[in-house]
Amino acid sequence: MKHYVAILVFLFLQGCEPFVSEFPDSSEPLTFKASNVETGSSVYQGGSIKVLTWNMRFGIGRFPFFGDSCGEDVIADEQTVTQTMEAIVDTLNVIDADIVLLQEVDLESKRSGYWNQIQYLLDNTNLNHGVYASTWKADFIPTDGIGRINTGNAILSKYPLESAERIQLRLRTDQSSLVQYFYLRRNILKAEIPELTMDQKLFFAVNIHATAFATDDTKQQHVNKYLEVLGNIHSSGNVFISGGDLNAVPPDAVTDYCMNDMCSGENYHVEGLEPYHKEGSYFENFLGEPDILSPLYDSYQPAIHEDFRNNPEHFTHAPTTSMIDGNTHRRHDRKIDYLFTNLNWEENSGFTHQGCWEVSDHMPVSATLSPTITN
Amino acid sequence: MAGEHKQWNSHSAHVITKQRWEIGLFQPLRHGLSDDLEYATYPLWFFVMPNVSFKKAHEDRGSAKTASRLSIVYPTPLLNMLSNEGIGGLIDPNITMPPMLGLSGSLLMSWDAFGVMVTSKAGIDLGLSMGKLDTRSNIDLPIVYHRLEVFHNKWGVHAGLDLTKDMTRHLQLFVDLDVRLLPGLEKRNEDQSYQMHSGNHSIEHKLLLIWSRSSRFRIITGYKLVSGDFPHGNETRLLPYVPMLEKWVPIIELQWAR
Repeated sequence: MKHYVAILVFLFLQGCEPFVSEFPDSSEPLTFKASNVETGSSVYQGGSIKVLTWNMRFGIGRFPFFGDSCGEDVIADEQTVTQTMEAIVDTLNVIDADIVLLQEVDLESKRSGYWNQIQYLLDNTNLNHGVYASTWKADFIPTDGIGRINTGNAILSKYPLESAERIQLRLRTDQSSLVQYFYLRRNILKAEIPELTMDQKLFFAVNIHATAFATDDTKQQHVNKYLEVLGNIHSSGNVFISGGDLNAVPPDAVTDYCMNDMCSGENYHVEGLEPYHKEGSYFENFLGEPDILSPLYDSYQPAIHEDFRNNPEHFTHAPTTSMIDGNTHRRHDRKIDYLFTNLNWEENSGFTHQGCWEVSDHMPVSATLSPTITN
Repeated sequence: MAGEHKQWNSHSAHVITKQRWEIGLFQPLRHGLSDDLEYATYPLWFFVMPNVSFKKAHEDRGSAKTASRLSIVYPTPLLNMLSNEGIGGLIDPNITMPPMLGLSGSLLMSWDAFGVMVTSKAGIDLGLSMGKLDTRSNIDLPIVYHRLEVFHNKWGVHAGLDLTKDMTRHLQLFVDLDVRLLPGLEKRNEDQSYQMHSGNHSIEHKLLLIWSRSSRFRIITGYKLVSGDFPHGNETRLLPYVPMLEKWVPIIELQWAR
């Protein structure tokens, strides 16, 4: 009888896990390790350190997902996800970055066939260690057939990751309670890489995926928090590489993509018609939004120099169903993905991999760190 | 005791008294057609998910009652309603479910042991699909997932054990344990690949306290615990569970009879 009660209590506790995961301000992310780590591959041998950031769109490539384009599809088919994940692996192996910051990575989500994408990438690339922080985790989203969802940010590295932290970002305030409950919970993911400690300066990797569709000041709050996290590392005398999908355009960039992103049957920029601008396509929702990234450029080193940040060859995103005409996809028309450091990038090493346009609706950005320190 | 077992015990091998009706908030409408045959249906669901089950008593085996039950369900209209855009869409709105028929056959045996009514059951489930069933059409919720998965796997088996004990004249305790298996369906594989259909078993356990005011009305409370293997791994859930409150609430069921 005692055993029965003990088992029952255990199952009761298991059975009362939250249906939708809410996170405290700071929490521990999940950790992963490649199934087979080659001897010596986790040890830093000196030399340049290559860094990559990529919003990999949960392995669905240019699948017309309803949530972020004019698409109507929800659950990706096996062929699409399998081929895209293989292409992502191939891309990561070719670029061969030492540290990879990923956004929109799925972990056993129905929409991508319940794939553990973090483990798959670790097991099929030269990367050995990973940490993952959920942005959206729920047993079941009762909307549009989404079902079970777990998606978020990941840091993958050849070298061990320690002291990882998931930092919760402020939720949107322009949503009802019901929508907010089932909606994304954006975060900053931070991890220390002891192998890369330089002259007793701790080395951190910091990954962010800021809000995309907020019409209030949530994006400002996210960038402020991001600056605070980076500032704390910098002011402590430590070093970082950082980046992600900031969903913000560089200073002096075009701020209105409503007409580019408009779906069939939609109308924008019509007086009296709400919404005037399309959510996620307009970057002047509040005072100062066009210059929201200026503090980053002023304080740290961007992988793509500010003189080139608005050049078309560094555009990183366009919705998957954005078309120039009936036959031609608009592949990228804005830069919203970035890399920064408080060290120095090797000159001209910053690169936007626009050849990856079929593998995601975001292009990866990479750059190489010079191993010497200059603050 | 035997006469009482014919009332309220839809789960047992006892057939309801001829001409008697029973219905609950969540329990099916149950009616005795003859001394050895009853039918049951969920009347509100019937408009979107036609369903009926028949239970027929067989010869006693010693002191044990035996019966067989056949259940038929046509879930297609309900599933197509749930395949929609926006809130309430539980299935991808781009998927149209084909005509499907679910059949479930069970053998039941009930006997008294030391003042406890024991019921054992075992049976086979068939999921027939008269058209192409999209592999992405699942609902990955406890209770629902493995019942729908029968249509993808084509068949399954189930077994269970129920215990009912009278605590007082008006108070009864009910405990059950049911297992559903989907032979041929793989356990979730760990090689990190697309796997919309894996998770070959579920276990459901229920504990109920039943207060019978009379032979015509009773109130039930308790819990249901579900544990199973799903495409996303193993999950255990205590039900009923209210998501926004993140709390379990006890089952509340009212039943009436005539």
